[in-house]
Amino acid sequence: MYAPQTTTMAPEPMMPFPALITDIKEEAPGVTTYALEFEDTAVRQSFTFQPGQFNMLYLPGIGEAAISISSDPGQPETLLHTIRVAGNVTQAIARLDVGDVIGLRGPYGSAWPLAHARGLDIIMVAGGIGLPPLRPAIYHIIHHRQEYGQVTVLVGAREPADLMFPGEYDAWREQGIEVLPTVDRADDSWEGRVGVVPMLFYSLRPDPRKTMIFTCGPEIMMRFVVYEALARRVPKERIYLSLERNMKCAIGFCGHCQFGPTFLCKEGPVLSYNQIEPFFSVEEF
Amino acid sequence: MKKEPVAEILKANPWFASLSSPHFEKMVEIATEMSWPAGQIIFREGQQGNYMYLIIEGQVALDIYAPNRGRLTILTLGPNEVFGWSAVVPYTQMRTAAARTIKPTRAIALDSAALRAACKADHELGYLVYRRLTNIIAGRLTATRLQLLDVYGDGTGD
Amino acid sequence: MTPHIPPLNAHVVIDKPALQTLFDALQTAGYTLIGPTIREEAIVYDEIGRIEELPIGWTDEQGPGHYRLHERGDGRYFAYVVGPHSWKKYLYPARLTLFRTRRQDKSFTVETGEEPPPKYAFIGARGCELAAIAVQDRVFLEGPIQAATYKARREHAFLLAVNCTEPGETCFCVSMNSGPRCESGFDLALTELDDVFLLQVGSQIGAEMLAGSGWRPAGAFELSHARRLLAEAETQMGRTLETRDLPNLLYDNLDHPRWDEVAERCLSCMNCTMVCPTCFCADITDVSDLSGENTARVRVWDSCFNPDFSYVHGGNLRPSIRARYRQWLTHKLASWIDQFGTSGCVGCGRCITWCPVGIDLTEEVAAIRGEG
Repeated sequence: MYAPQTTTMAPEPMMPFPALITDIKEEAPGVTTYALEFEDTAVRQSFTFQPGQFNMLYLPGIGEAAISISSDPGQPETLLHTIRVAGNVTQAIARLDVGDVIGLRGPYGSAWPLAHARGLDIIMVAGGIGLPPLRPAIYHIIHHRQEYGQVTVLVGAREPADLMFPGEYDAWREQGIEVLPTVDRADDSWEGRVGVVPMLFYSLRPDPRKTMIFTCGPEIMMRFVVYEALARRVPKERIYLSLERNMKCAIGFCGHCQFGPTFLCKEGPVLSYNQIEPFFSVEEF
Repeated sequence: MKKEPVAEILKANPWFASLSSPHFEKMVEIATEMSWPAGQIIFREGQQGNYMYLIIEGQVALDIYAPNRGRLTILTLGPNEVFGWSAVVPYTQMRTAAARTIKPTRAIALDSAALRAACKADHELGYLVYRRLTNIIAGRLTATRLQLLDVYGDGTGD
Repeated sequence: MTPHIPPLNAHVVIDKPALQTLFDALQTAGYTLIGPTIREEAIVYDEIGRIEELPIGWTDEQGPGHYRLHERGDGRYFAYVVGPHSWKKYLYPARLTLFRTRRQDKSFTVETGEEPPPKYAFIGARGCELAAIAVQDRVFLEGPIQAATYKARREHAFLLAVNCTEPGETCFCVSMNSGPRCESGFDLALTELDDVFLLQVGSQIGAEMLAGSGWRPAGAFELSHARRLLAEAETQMGRTLETRDLPNLLYDNLDHPRWDEVAERCLSCMNCTMVCPTCFCADITDVSDLSGENTARVRVWDSCFNPDFSYVHGGNLRPSIRARYRQWLTHKLASWIDQFGTSGCVGCGRCITWCPVGIDLTEEVAAIRGEG
């Protein structure tokens, strides 16, 4: 009887694909955008993503980090990732140059509910590096502008220099998107708004029957965005948040990104408030 | 002489529009429309407050001057937002920050002494006015807390 | 010559020493046998070849934070409960290379991490352990993405299960509906009687492995004896866990004072998660050679009790033991059901036995239920 001693193996789903850094752009102090292209033509040409999804960026010998895609979903051959230096991996990425190669796999996670939002007004609320995960949604809306109602983008940052993508706001405005930047602190050379992002709701009059909220930013900020939205009677199921947790595998196997019943790498990072409400304000959850 | 437009402007505001007819008329009576070019100081910190303002259009910065640090903008406000509420709060009645226009600004100014008197004379109106003020102040308190938390930091002091 | 094999689902008996013929058949068929054996005063799972390596005549006395081996003074092969090991050690190794990279100029190549794994035959899996394997199957095989390394180990594994006739002090498989009888998911299920082993044939390959064992069909006496033993075992559970509406009980009590009390005792040592047969949380780290040219991407068991487990830039989201114990228990008994349609607990009792301070999850749940 023929008796094999071993079994066979399918490819490891966590294996990355080498991707070339084709451009690097500093966005703000400590925040940089990297343009990446898969080296393998077939991989590059078959890759698509939806606004709000993320990739895993890998540096051999250092490790992997989950980074949301900040570029236009209509141009998936060049993928932009806007990264704030925070841990080992992002520090190592910060030392790379154009022409260097990085490991890339994805896309993972849920997307902003742009199909659901058709015909509705959208208020996007971004704090700090919360804008990069929303930018693909802004590009999508620009490409399909007639499908959406009023679109307002509230952008917050600590100081004016920390604002993400300020050079694009006018182009967005030309596409009929209202962009309201605000900062927590400024000297009097700043002529824009000062105040925390949730406060911008006080100058809006959202119609709760047809408004959808997308928010991404520090969790405290998102909590207060939720409170302001609920106070204006926007239903829980039309408030969407992008949450951040420790992600190691991005495919639901490592357990790190659990938020109650949710694996943020699979069912998240974009979730509606009614999905997470019981846990959202629980301390140390 | 500008009373007609003021009534029209107030009607467009949901809170004023929700008032009963006598209350609304009282508000029209003490309201004046004002406008300023960009860069104008509307009031300075420490001054006696004469008016509370509802912005119709434009943008206003609230500043506190700090020696060695210059003029620090605490908050900016836009259409439908209220500033100068310290003028109707019995505790201060004094301006706790300076107000400066960033853009050409148009606002409804409510005479604060008349507003306080009206609220005192008619507690029903007083309740509605101070309830609205409570909401505004609570919003400012939340905003101030969030600014204090410095939510964009990662908690490590960077 | 057609070998003499029993039909599927048949109940047969073999003499106890004939178990060796089964071991031999498995080895001839290319299986690596893993079974219970005594190491360092515990019954653990390790590679075996001979029936003499089984813990014949030994049993384990268990309690919260308590485990001792005793000689029984009889020749029973499987008269112990479960030890610190579970089969996840083989199906989901504690340390495993997922892939390797080799630097080439500015780029790098990626290669598979390891040789294909051996075909395993697991000897002596209990009902709770079959349930635990089924739970991990859901985690690693039944989602949108399959875990290749788990699948390679799992799909060819041979399972010789053992019906549990002497449950231990920390057992509660009846509460979790996972034992003591092995209901499914085995190739052969063994019940140890006084002089013989009664075997239920669960698969074609299970049947084939019995070809040289001298099996004979089970008689009514043997079948009723086994039924009686299992019925008795059901009444001998050392613990019970009331599972009624358990997810909501925990979700509604995330700020219950009991979490503070258990946190005062819990050492956050991770023992419970290491011995748990279903806990699957892992870290993934890089191991490079000195040149930095070659790197292995290595998966290692992690634990929600590890403070770094919840690290995001700036700090840990669950800095307190209270929060980490709560995460473990609510995941195990509540959110697991939302995630995988099954409880993460199979009632094996390992987390109770191997907790150095004897924390008992059945007691914790009862306390939160208000029955403490």
